[in-house]
Amino acid sequence: MPNKLLYYRLIPVVFVLIALSIWLQPEFFQRAAGINLPNGQQPQLSQPLKVEKPCVDLHPEWRAAQVVDGVEISESLLCEPDNPYNIAAFVLGMNNISMRTLMSSRIAEDALIKSDDLDGDGDPDIIRIKLEVLELNGATPDSPGVFPTYDIAPGIQPGMWAFSPKLRGMSVKNFRSLKANAILRAPSPVIRVEQGDKVYITLENTHYFPHTLHFHGVDHAFKTSTGGDNDGVPVTGEKPVMPGATRTYELQPRHAGTMLYHCHVQTDKHLMMGLNGMFVVEENKPNNWVQTFNVGAGHVRHSSVAIKEKFDREYDLHYQSIDKNLAKTIQQSNDTREISKQMHRVYNMSESSENYFMLNGHSFPYTLRDALIIAKPDENIKLRVANTQHSNIAIHIHGHKATITNYDGVPVNPAAQITRDVYDLSAAQRVDLHLQTTNDGLHSYGEGVWLFHDHVEMGVANDGMSPGGNIALLVYESMLSEQGMPTVLREDALDDVMTNSYYAKQRPLWGKLEAGELAPDYLRIILFGLLIGLAIGLAIFIVRGLNKADS
Amino acid sequence: MKSISLFLFFCFITSPVFAAMNHGGMIMDEKGMIMNHNPDKLPKDCKEISEDVNITIRGGHKFAKDFPGKMFTYDKRDWQVPPCARVNVTFINEDDIRHQFMIHGLPGYMYPKGMFTIELYGKGQKTGSFIVPSRDYTYYIHCEVSQHTEKGMKGQLKVGKGSGDLDSILGLSAPLTPDLYPINNTHYTWLALIFSIIIGAFLIRLLTGLFTSKHSEP
Ligand SMILES: [Cu+2]
Ligand SMILES: [Cu+2]
Repeated sequence: MPNKLLYYRLIPVVFVLIALSIWLQPEFFQRAAGINLPNGQQPQLSQPLKVEKPCVDLHPEWRAAQVVDGVEISESLLCEPDNPYNIAAFVLGMNNISMRTLMSSRIAEDALIKSDDLDGDGDPDIIRIKLEVLELNGATPDSPGVFPTYDIAPGIQPGMWAFSPKLRGMSVKNFRSLKANAILRAPSPVIRVEQGDKVYITLENTHYFPHTLHFHGVDHAFKTSTGGDNDGVPVTGEKPVMPGATRTYELQPRHAGTMLYHCHVQTDKHLMMGLNGMFVVEENKPNNWVQTFNVGAGHVRHSSVAIKEKFDREYDLHYQSIDKNLAKTIQQSNDTREISKQMHRVYNMSESSENYFMLNGHSFPYTLRDALIIAKPDENIKLRVANTQHSNIAIHIHGHKATITNYDGVPVNPAAQITRDVYDLSAAQRVDLHLQTTNDGLHSYGEGVWLFHDHVEMGVANDGMSPGGNIALLVYESMLSEQGMPTVLREDALDDVMTNSYYAKQRPLWGKLEAGELAPDYLRIILFGLLIGLAIGLAIFIVRGLNKADS
Repeated sequence: MKSISLFLFFCFITSPVFAAMNHGGMIMDEKGMIMNHNPDKLPKDCKEISEDVNITIRGGHKFAKDFPGKMFTYDKRDWQVPPCARVNVTFINEDDIRHQFMIHGLPGYMYPKGMFTIELYGKGQKTGSFIVPSRDYTYYIHCEVSQHTEKGMKGQLKVGKGSGDLDSILGLSAPLTPDLYPINNTHYTWLALIFSIIIGAFLIRLLTGLFTSKHSEP
C-alpha cells in the first residue's frame, strides 16, 4: 500500500515537467531574427536555370525582300520573319506554285485554291479555303506532359486552340521533339480576301469537339446558295460540324474592312480557347493578288494594291487573352467526355478571370521575336488592331500619336478622324490606325525603341508576373540589330525574363537573393526534447508501478 | 533536295502513271502524299524479301464509336509481319478530313527520319510499300493530325516476335498516364465491406480457438 502512495505523489511531477516543456517550447517554423537579419540565399528552383537567347536566328535568309514564284515579298527584319515560301503559296494559291515552294511549306495541296478571274482585272476571284482546328499544349495518354508544346513566353504552356490553314506532314519539329512545328501556332491566321471575291471556306473539323465558323462583320448571306447554314450559329442554323466532318461557308463581301471570324459553338469557351481570328476584306483593285493567310498575324509581307498605294508597311495586331483555369481543362484528361464536362459545365465563364495576354500569339518577351513594329522616319504605316479578349484593351504607343481611320472596318469621315495616343477597344472591336513616323512633335518624337502596350495594367503581366503580357516595341530600323533585336538594350537586359524560372515566380527580381532562413535553436530543442522524454518516461513508470502494486 | 524536287516535279506532271513508277522517295498529288515509298531497296540485314504482306488499314471517326471517350482511330491497331517482309499498305480514309498512316523507327539510312507515311487529305485511299528489317521489333503507327494520336489513332506493327506492346493502344494496352474515374458505390458496397469485417473477426476467433486447443491438449 505505501508503495502505491509513492506513485501517486509522483503524478504532479509529470504535470510540472509538461508545464516546463510548454514554457520552454522552441519555435519550430518561424521566429524573429533579433538584431541581425539572416543572410541572403539562392532561390530554390524547380528546374535548373536556363537562360534562352533572345533571338534564335533560325532563318536569316528569310528576312530579305525577295521574289518567290513571281510574288514580291517585302523585307521583314524581325528575329522570326514569316516563311517567304508560305507567303508565295498564300498569295498564289496551292494550285499555282512551283514544286520547290510546295516542298518548302507544310500546307496541304488543297488548302487554298485560287481560280477564275471573273471580272477580268488580272486576279483570281474564286477562292477556296480549307481550315483545320489545332490544339496546342493538349493532354496526351503517353506522358504526364502536354503535346505538342507551344510556349507563349518562356516556360508558359497553356492549353489552346487555333484554326489553321489545312496542313500536311508532321506536326512537331521532328520525331524526337515535342515542340510544335512553326506553322502550328496561335493566333488563328488572319484571312485576307478581295472585295467581291467568291469565297468558299470549308471547316474540316479535325478536332474532337464540334465547331463552326461564324463571320463577324464580313458580308455574308444567312444561308448558302443551296440553303445550308451560313452563319455558324447552332441555335439558329444547322447542327455544328462534328469531329471528322466538314462544312463549306460562302461569302462574297461587298464591303472592305478589318473584320473577324470565330467558332460559334459554346462561344464563350471556344472563342477564348483561341478559335477566333482577323478577317480582312481588301478593296477591289486590278491585279490584286492578296495574301490569303497571315499565319501568326503581324507584318504583312505582301500587302494589297490599295494598301501599297497609301502605306509603306502594314501590320495585323491581334490581342488575345487566356484564363488559366479554362486552358487547364484540356490538359487533364484524354477522355473527350470528361474534357467536355470540365470545359463546358464545371468551368464557369461568369467566374472567369484572364491571366495571360498575348499579341499575335506570344507574350512578352517572345513578342520581341515576331511582334515588333519596324519603321523608318517619315513613313505611313497601317495598323489593323483587333481585340478578342473579353476585357477591354487600351493600346498606347510610346512617342507617337496615330490617327483612327476605321472603326470595325468602317471608314471614319476624314474630317471627324481622331488622332490620339490611347486606342480603346472593347471585346470583338477593331480599329485601323494610320501611324505616321514624321518627327513633328505630334505624330512622332523621333527615332527610338518605343514600347507599345495595353494600358489596362493586368495586360502587361504573365499571370501577374511583370513585364509580360502584350508588351511589344515600335523599333526604328537604325536601332535594330542584324538579328532583328533592338540594339539599345543592355547586353544582359533580357537575361532575367528569358529564363524558365522567372515566370514560374522562382527567381528574385534584379538578380538579388531571397531573404535567408534562420538556423534551428538547438539548445532549446534539446531541452524541450529532454523534458518531454522525462515526462513520458515518468508517466509510464507510474502506470506500470500502479499495475504491479495492484497485482 | 534539288534532285528530290526534280523527281517530284516529274511525278507531278506525270501523275497518271504513278502506280507504274517504281521509285523511292515521295509521291504527292492533290489527294495526299506517300513519303519514303520503298518497294525494292533491301535493308542491310536482309538478303531477300521474305514475303509480300498486303495490309488494308482504314482510318476514321466511325471506328472510334466502340471506344467510349475516344474520337478517331484505325479499324485494326495491331499488326504482325515476318522479318524482311515487304509491307504493301493500302490506307483508306473514311472521313472528309485529313488522316495519316505514319510508322516510325525504320532504319534511318533508307527511310529519312525513320518514317514511312501515307497521308490522305480527305476520303480516299492510297497504297505504298516499305520493307522491314530482320530484327524483332514493335514499330509505332499513328496519325499525327492535332490530337488524333492522343484521342485514339495509334497502333503498332510487330516484326517477327516484336519487342512488346506499346502503351495507350485502344483495346490492347492501357495508357501510360491514365485518367481516374469515380467508382459507383451503392449500399451493397458497404454491406459487402461490413460483412467481410464480421466474417474476418469470426475467423480470428476460430483460428485462436484452434491454436489454444492444440497447445493445451498435451
Ligand atoms: Cu468551337
Ligand atoms: Cu487522323
